[in-house]
Amino acid sequence: METAVDIKGIVKVYNGKIKALDGIDLSVEAGKVFAVLGPNGAGKTTLMRILTTQIKPDSGEARIFGLDVTKDGAAVRKLISYVPQEMCVWTDISGYENLLVYAKIYSVPAQERKRLIDNVLQTMELDNFSGVLVKNYSGGMIRRLEIACALLIKPKILFLDEPTIGLDPFARKIVWEKLMSFKKENGVTVFFNTHYMDEAETYSDQIAIINMRKIVKIGTPEALKRSVGGEIIRFSLERNVPALIAKKIKNMKIVVDVVPGNHELSVFADDAGIALPRIMDILKKNNVYIKEVSIKKPNLDDVFLKYAGTRIESVERVVDIRQMRDRIKK
Amino acid sequence: MITMMESLKNIMVMIELEARRLRHDRTELYVRAVQPVLWLVIYGSVMSAVKLIPTGGIPYIAYITPGVLLQSTAFVSIFFGLTIVWEKESGILKKLLVTPASRPSIVVGRSMAAGVRSILQAVIIIPIALLIGVVFLPNPLYFVLAFAIIFIISAGFAAISIFIASFLKTRERFMGIGQAITFPLFFASNALYPIELMPPLIKEFALMNPMSYAVDAIRGLMISGNISNLPFDIAAIVIFVSVMLAIASVSFKRIIE
Repeated sequence: METAVDIKGIVKVYNGKIKALDGIDLSVEAGKVFAVLGPNGAGKTTLMRILTTQIKPDSGEARIFGLDVTKDGAAVRKLISYVPQEMCVWTDISGYENLLVYAKIYSVPAQERKRLIDNVLQTMELDNFSGVLVKNYSGGMIRRLEIACALLIKPKILFLDEPTIGLDPFARKIVWEKLMSFKKENGVTVFFNTHYMDEAETYSDQIAIINMRKIVKIGTPEALKRSVGGEIIRFSLERNVPALIAKKIKNMKIVVDVVPGNHELSVFADDAGIALPRIMDILKKNNVYIKEVSIKKPNLDDVFLKYAGTRIESVERVVDIRQMRDRIKK
Repeated sequence: MITMMESLKNIMVMIELEARRLRHDRTELYVRAVQPVLWLVIYGSVMSAVKLIPTGGIPYIAYITPGVLLQSTAFVSIFFGLTIVWEKESGILKKLLVTPASRPSIVVGRSMAAGVRSILQAVIIIPIALLIGVVFLPNPLYFVLAFAIIFIISAGFAAISIFIASFLKTRERFMGIGQAITFPLFFASNALYPIELMPPLIKEFALMNPMSYAVDAIRGLMISGNISNLPFDIAAIVIFVSVMLAIASVSFKRIIE
């Protein structure tokens, strides 16, 4: 199987002091959908900017279809397409004109331009709005136009940085449906950043969990979920669990892992029914009073919690980006 | 050779993009034409009544028309850097960097796009100048050359603004600096009065000011017909524009990071 992305030991330090990436290793098979899942500030965007040849890593090596991103930047740029997190179309011209400008930059032959543009406009369901100025588009339509600009050249690999950030659930779903149908037709490799668990879970073949500048775990969504144990018991508590007691619970044979939080405790166990009474005993004995207990099947949120030791707190950030996109739209 | 053609094509695309934007919305062009027209109509008429400034026999309003044209060019071009700041805030620059277009061709293309605006600005101002009695030399070749100079020097001014944009990361800061640059360019040049009238220090500055050479060239081509300095003027302008484009290309890296 061909390797689309191959990264070894990537380190990036901004201005000689702010570390953004601390030794990233990963590889992506051609034709797969690969998600990098992590909270704001984890280093997702920096990694993508290195892979798309915008900035250079301080050490390490990254290859796209065998081409080195620092040495063969020009060749890499011919294979890839990229949609940044921020808006990347001109709002004071029409959707069609945006595509035309990009088609010309990519040297699409003049006789093929119209056909290709009409094609992607149709794929992204924008054909009825091709002549409308982009500033009159909705957020979801702008996103689809941006993706259309990226699909225009039929790239070998598509890089998407938070492709649906700031969109409502319905618009998000449409964006992904269109992307997936394009992928099916053209077999493009997709590499995307997200902080949406559900997107990573539903649409990707493989997920890399990134936190604090490092990849903490890579696997298929199923394998990741399996790795945290069969069930999760979540305790809401009157006070925080002392470290010693958390350790004691973790050392129990029937417990896979324990993650303490603020006035809460998550226990990953194969069989919650057996583990629960015993854990409650331990907590009671140590005067940690339980307010609430819930048991559930693990989802990616829990996987993230286990490997990153924290939850993805992203609400603020989304509002932020939405406001910025609105402001730029004018 | 292929990269040359590629770059040239990318520059043309950037120019086309600007033309398309202006086709959809020209209000800014009209608004920006108000100030130069006021210079001609008010300042020009008052000063020509005063008859203080030696113009070598040219009516004063005609004398300052090239300068006012170029001031508006400089203004438009320098504030064009604002577009780059905007593009930096949005993802457009990031996206452009990932296309096969080379970085210098992006910088030069964006700069040249300012020329489109400047030319259209001149197209609005010149008929108004005609209306208030400015007599232009009826030489089409001279006119074409004058427009070419306006176009080229716009790229130089726009490159200055890209250079500044690489330091200033927000629009608000840019506004103030933009003013601070266009003013000395205009007043410490031969746009409104001959350089010989200036006190020594300002004179030195005016002689290094690219605006002075552009004004001299355009005044010769459009008004006085005295083009004895033209080759020298053009050389000065070409050097200025090339140097600024080179500096802008280098500083562009700071905008990206």
